[in-house]
Amino acid sequence: MTVEYWKWPEEEGTSTGVDCKKASVITAGVDIGAVSTNAAIMSDGELAAYSIIRTEADSGASAQKAMDKALKAAGLEMGQVRSIISTGYGRANASFASKNKTEIPCHVRGAFYMYGPTIRTILDIGGQDTKAIKCDEYGDVKFFQMNDKCASGAGRQIETFADMVAVPIQDIGPLSLEVDEDPEPVSSTCVTYANSMALQLMRKEPRNRVLASYCFSIAWRDYILVNRLANLSGDGTVEKDLAITGGVAKNKGIVSRIERELGIEALPLKKGDPQIAGAVGAAILAAEMVA
Amino acid sequence: MERFQKLLEDPHKYAKEWKEKTGGKVMGYFCPYIPEELVYAAGALPVRVLSEPDADGISYRYLYATFCPKSRGVLAQGLNGTYSYLDGISHAQCCEGMSGAYSSWRLHIPHEHEWFVSMPSDLDNPWALTALRSEMSALKKDLEKWTGKTITEEALDHAIEVYNTSRSLMRQVYELRRAANPKVTGAEAFEMVLSSQIMDKEEHNKLLKDAISKLSGREKRDDNGVRLMMLGSDCDFGDATLTRLIESMGATIVIDRLCNGSNYFWNNVIPQEDRLLAITQRYWDKPRCAVKDETFRRRVVDVIGLAIDYNVQGVIYNVHRFCTPNHADRPPIIEALKKRFIHFHDLEHDGTFPMGDLQSRIETFIDVIRK
Repeated sequence: MTVEYWKWPEEEGTSTGVDCKKASVITAGVDIGAVSTNAAIMSDGELAAYSIIRTEADSGASAQKAMDKALKAAGLEMGQVRSIISTGYGRANASFASKNKTEIPCHVRGAFYMYGPTIRTILDIGGQDTKAIKCDEYGDVKFFQMNDKCASGAGRQIETFADMVAVPIQDIGPLSLEVDEDPEPVSSTCVTYANSMALQLMRKEPRNRVLASYCFSIAWRDYILVNRLANLSGDGTVEKDLAITGGVAKNKGIVSRIERELGIEALPLKKGDPQIAGAVGAAILAAEMVA
Repeated sequence: MERFQKLLEDPHKYAKEWKEKTGGKVMGYFCPYIPEELVYAAGALPVRVLSEPDADGISYRYLYATFCPKSRGVLAQGLNGTYSYLDGISHAQCCEGMSGAYSSWRLHIPHEHEWFVSMPSDLDNPWALTALRSEMSALKKDLEKWTGKTITEEALDHAIEVYNTSRSLMRQVYELRRAANPKVTGAEAFEMVLSSQIMDKEEHNKLLKDAISKLSGREKRDDNGVRLMMLGSDCDFGDATLTRLIESMGATIVIDRLCNGSNYFWNNVIPQEDRLLAITQRYWDKPRCAVKDETFRRRVVDVIGLAIDYNVQGVIYNVHRFCTPNHADRPPIIEALKKRFIHFHDLEHDGTFPMGDLQSRIETFIDVIRK
């Protein structure tokens, strides 16, 4: 059987000390992205449970599946949830949601909850797009920039690379850090160019150096986006604090290189999982809706 | 209002029927610096060659990948025969993209006549007006030879009157957009401008007059959403799809400064004894496009003035990939918008839009303005 190195593990989780049975308001958010679908259950404003699954061809069915998993983890039934907001590219397909909202404000709200309200810049590195967002102290979006059509710098790129180099996707980040000095990055123009350059490098360089070069390239692309945000929305200074969310935020090889290039350390995660920021934000906005 | 939309559903139908009915010649033009009054006075029909996304990639045979989607789409339509009814093609010196499309068209697509206006690059040069005036004389002679018809002063006066009427009517439509609750949407207005570029203006003027009288009786819309301005490359391709989509998300596009929008009709010909000089001055004095604004950077003042005048809350900077003039033009305008706290969003694309991405961008942008 062919090994699928790109396949990141699906998961679900619960927060300790949050008892949904005693909650007065339960809300939920579901973020249907191009690569992953994530659901979050909030119990009186605290994250109770979540799920992360791979988005399938039917995004509506994926939303339902993620929601069912999160509900099961929380020990709840759908009928106990007061309000649900869907977000992400497939947001219109979640038939069970009360409302849908674009993912950008959801990511900000989610990041506020998960990293703390001191954040002013959020870099969300998703499966197929990357967003650099500037927010205010109230958690409102002030300005944002998105990558263009190519998935260069986003999660899908790393998935293609994992299969090409035959390294499990979760190992790419840690292995890429096992180099004395970072080599030059591969092309960040597009995924195809990057993979083609990496393939050439593999003939002459040790594997970890190829991984480092590749992670550096992705980090560079995201670094440029954050800088663009800073230039267009202000005087070019990246406003602190910085939070990095999305599935790619789990790749330490990329995050540490972004931090190095920006000269800013991203805030550590306090609650949840960086991949569920959009879903958590949607659940928080759902709670604001019923308040 | 639907009539304008219908005209654009098949933008070639009118010109083909006109040709059959009148036996006249149809001249396709690539750039609005072409003095249409001269073509009209010669009895020919000037029609703008509208772009369509080059879905088959046929233009890649002749244009490098670094050409913008608009020039690529124009050439593709020539190559696939969509514009086979054109008797002549014309172009004025403007951006490299459209000039490349024109050059390739000349070489690879059969046509009866071609016509190139050496539009001065530096319009602020004291010799620019003189140079352009001499171009007009040459063009007049060339057109007379091609059509076999003498362009009389009466014919020029008539053409000037028809074109000035069209421009004044479009200004009236745009004036309606300045109101607090515009009765006309950006998409409707844009369809009026676009359709005026593909049919006999005299006939189009009748449609415009009728539309304006109907608009004045129309109820004001309750919720127009946020007031947006459109800048950058030509907004849509052959229709108002993008404009309509943006407006469906809680906004009204109240003004633009686009080559195929307000820039096309903004100023009139001021009649004078020397008709050719009058026409020359009109094209020389048009609001500067991104290509022709190199010396004194008049566009920044022009664009900010419009934004204030139309009470604009946000600007969508819609730039085609590889549209170098608009990419070069953008930084000073963005700085000016920032200084005046006018929201803006960059929308760079290759002529096609991933819907999810576009909706997220526009909806969020509108939300940011609302807050």
